[in-house]
Amino acid sequence: MSVMATTTATGAAPRRLSASMASARLREAGWGYGFALIPIAVFGLFFIYPFAYAVYISFYHWGIAGKTSPGTGTFNYAKVLHDPVFHIALRNIAEYTVAVVPLEMALGLSLALMINQKIHGRNFFRSAFYFPAIASSVAITTIILFIFAQDGLFNHIFGLNKDWFGQASTVGWGIVGMNAWTTSGTVMIFYLASLQAIPDDVYEAAALDNTGAWRTFWKITFPLLRPAHFFCLVVFGIGALKLFDQAFLVAGGASGSPNYSTMYPIIYIYNAAFGTFDFGLAAAAGVIYFVLIFGLTVVQRLTVGRQEVA
Amino acid sequence: MTLQTVASAEKPAIPGRPRSDTARKVLLYAIYLVVAAIFLVPFLWTLVTSFKTLPDSFNFNFIPHPWTVHAWTDLWTNPSYHFPTYIKNSLFLAAVIVSCNLFLSALGGYAFARLKFPGRELLFLLVLGTLMVPDQLRLLPIFLMMVHWGLYGHFTSYILINLVSAVNLFFMRQYFLTIPKDFEEAAKLDGAGYFKIFWRVMLPLALPAMAALAILQFQGTWNDFFWPLILFGQGNPDHYTLQLGLAQLHSQFHQEWPSVTAGSIIAIIPVLVIFLAFQRYFVSGAVSAGVKG
Repeated sequence: MSVMATTTATGAAPRRLSASMASARLREAGWGYGFALIPIAVFGLFFIYPFAYAVYISFYHWGIAGKTSPGTGTFNYAKVLHDPVFHIALRNIAEYTVAVVPLEMALGLSLALMINQKIHGRNFFRSAFYFPAIASSVAITTIILFIFAQDGLFNHIFGLNKDWFGQASTVGWGIVGMNAWTTSGTVMIFYLASLQAIPDDVYEAAALDNTGAWRTFWKITFPLLRPAHFFCLVVFGIGALKLFDQAFLVAGGASGSPNYSTMYPIIYIYNAAFGTFDFGLAAAAGVIYFVLIFGLTVVQRLTVGRQEVA
Repeated sequence: MTLQTVASAEKPAIPGRPRSDTARKVLLYAIYLVVAAIFLVPFLWTLVTSFKTLPDSFNFNFIPHPWTVHAWTDLWTNPSYHFPTYIKNSLFLAAVIVSCNLFLSALGGYAFARLKFPGRELLFLLVLGTLMVPDQLRLLPIFLMMVHWGLYGHFTSYILINLVSAVNLFFMRQYFLTIPKDFEEAAKLDGAGYFKIFWRVMLPLALPAMAALAILQFQGTWNDFFWPLILFGQGNPDHYTLQLGLAQLHSQFHQEWPSVTAGSIIAIIPVLVIFLAFQRYFVSGAVSAGVKG
């Protein structure tokens, strides 16, 4: 900028000045590259390159000692796609996602409606509802396993004797319940922001018409929250597909025990890599799952996303 | 909100209302307290159990009988638990990674927001593109790279992959874009160089954004389980983070509830303290986490 000012002021010797302008530009570019250098190097080395590397590995027999076959092929992909355990993992994550996302959204919206009332101790309740969302997955899972142990507090209060997280028939629901409980606080924050954006006169009109609270909610509030519904569906849906920590901790490893009930896609990938050291298989499963999630995201953007914008 | 508007509108017309209003209020608060209990009782029960003796931890009395801090002192002093090491490791990693992220994402964010250089837009697309690369694809190559470089099981590996994140850089860039250019122009006229402008002019203006970044990055690093598991999980417990150590404690001594519950509380406390002190940053963090997902 200052260089431009001198140009117009003096007017003489334009060639020399444009040269100094070019050198100023060059200097700015140099500093720009310098400042961005380390972040770019980190992103290139630990995100972009690993992406390509994983795709490369997926076409080889690759074990703990490195490449064990010279030939490339899609055999790892065929193996993953025909593996019954991978099918179980896909079915488990589909069931988990279909169960947990609506539950999180219903709970989160209910909590947001509660906090949006004029009540005493609003800040206390908001903090209480959000508290599980800030705690680490390990602490949460440990605490829930403690409460839901066979001789734990939950069974004691309700007079039951179930090993909730120890048997194949209930462990999936246990993880759904636990994660709905922790994530509903985050969903609440999103809904709360949207609820507070609804203008008061909408409600005043409803009150004048003597519309009941229940009807007001379903006829006015719920439809007005449409963008928030779609946003939560997309964000928490994709989040649910990445389930790992809780399943790993509940099962005490990546074996999927009991009886593959805690086998989810990322657990499958981890187990292929560090359980059986079949790196080629793990990489192929990673690529397949990435393509699946990516495809789902694109479909979601094209269908749900369009409607939301319109 | 609607419930109250309707109620107060009807109040003057019906004389019997005030009493049923009170009843309704009591019922309302009762519901709030029950819901709050669902969220807090598991933590309270955990806290209470950590002050019990081992035999008492299998009973259901809410008041420990007798009270004891044995589980806490045991975690601290019993060398088979390694807990002071885990805490030290987690604090060290969080401090280094928060500092690196603060400096590098501000520096990079400033470059992308303000400095002109050829290929800037393309490189910025690359930054955003990293958000698309999922961890389950990166885990194997990063594991192999770290083994190859001899960094597997060392803190360096974890620090390297977490030096700066795209979310943080994007966040800082957006913040710098909102700062008027006049401040830099003035400094430029005074003959300040680019780094001096960044350090003396822009960074002080970006302090609120940096505070939010520091808090959220601390929470992320402190709570992280996946990458420490990949990079330190098979190695020496000397390098375990607190979350890994807690998972280890639970799988190894899972019937020793007083110790396990005390460990869980320790894993939560730092984040809880920061949460209570800086709540509004967590709310904005939830919103920016949406960008990440």
